[in-house]
Amino acid sequence: MSDQHAIDAALAGDQAAWDALVNRFSGPLWSVVRAYDLSAADAADAVQGAWLRLVESLHTIRDPDRIGPWLFTTAKREAALLSRRNRGERLIADPADAEHARADPALAEHLHPDPAVAVLTADEGRRLWRAVEEMHEPCRSLFRLMATSPEAGVHQLAGRLGMPRGSYGPTRGRCLNRLRTMLTAQEATP
Amino acid sequence: MTRHPPTIDDESLIAALRLTAGHDPVPAHVSAAARAVFGLRLPGAATARPVPTPAPLGVRSADEARLLRFTAAELTVDLEVTAMDGLVDLAGQVSPCPEAGTRVEVRTLHLTESRELSPTGQFAVTGLPPGWFSVVCHRPEHSPVATSWTRIRP
Repeated sequence: MSDQHAIDAALAGDQAAWDALVNRFSGPLWSVVRAYDLSAADAADAVQGAWLRLVESLHTIRDPDRIGPWLFTTAKREAALLSRRNRGERLIADPADAEHARADPALAEHLHPDPAVAVLTADEGRRLWRAVEEMHEPCRSLFRLMATSPEAGVHQLAGRLGMPRGSYGPTRGRCLNRLRTMLTAQEATP
Repeated sequence: MTRHPPTIDDESLIAALRLTAGHDPVPAHVSAAARAVFGLRLPGAATARPVPTPAPLGVRSADEARLLRFTAAELTVDLEVTAMDGLVDLAGQVSPCPEAGTRVEVRTLHLTESRELSPTGQFAVTGLPPGWFSVVCHRPEHSPVATSWTRIRP
């Protein structure tokens, strides 16, 4: 079912059409909120927030192709808020943030154009991992560990890589930069 | 659709790696909750969006209570949110004071509490589970107004 049909059907009250959207986007949304190092409970909250905002805004959607990127951007925003507020959180209500109020699909054109995970295909996944396999250590092991042990904390990952805990973040940042550069260079090659 | 844009950020890259590694499947309850969210849609409802709240007067509960204000075209919903023993209490004020027969529903993902408004437009609900909630104002002869979904964690 195309996004347009799914939205039309969902607006008409078709639960199956909504379920199709959920099936299609649940995996990417979960992965992206977990990338903010959120606990499973917080990650679930962030994903639910994105779906709640979609149901709230369903009737305003003009361009169904933007649903994936929009859900993705909205979930990332929720995850970033949660991640920030986990440091020194007490009683928190998120939407007091003015930025929060503007998560409207009609405005999706103005959101960060970042549909990478929402549209990730199997081919691109293989390409991504081929790039990782070409990398030197510690990047290659770091990415393998990080991707296959989502529950492991920084301390555990650093230990398994044999590096001091304080080095993990900066090393991960450098490796991500290198991977990003490799992917961008591949794209520039016809 | 293009491939990874050059602007792809760290979180998206990590997410893509994890997604394609397949070692962090979506928990069943997360997908189930996403499907259930569809039952919470309110066709025809106006969404009251959050707006900055005025500074609280005095010092009452300044450390623990949180004031939230939501407005739709002609309606304002003010909420005072307090956490107690891991549960959330809401005290609300709808203004301008709606006509008699107005009812509010406080909705969470798991339960809905319904209240008649007091003659001065106030309502209260105690003992809500932490997480997402929305307050819906049902007035006779008007479309419902629902506050934008809001997440509260004690």
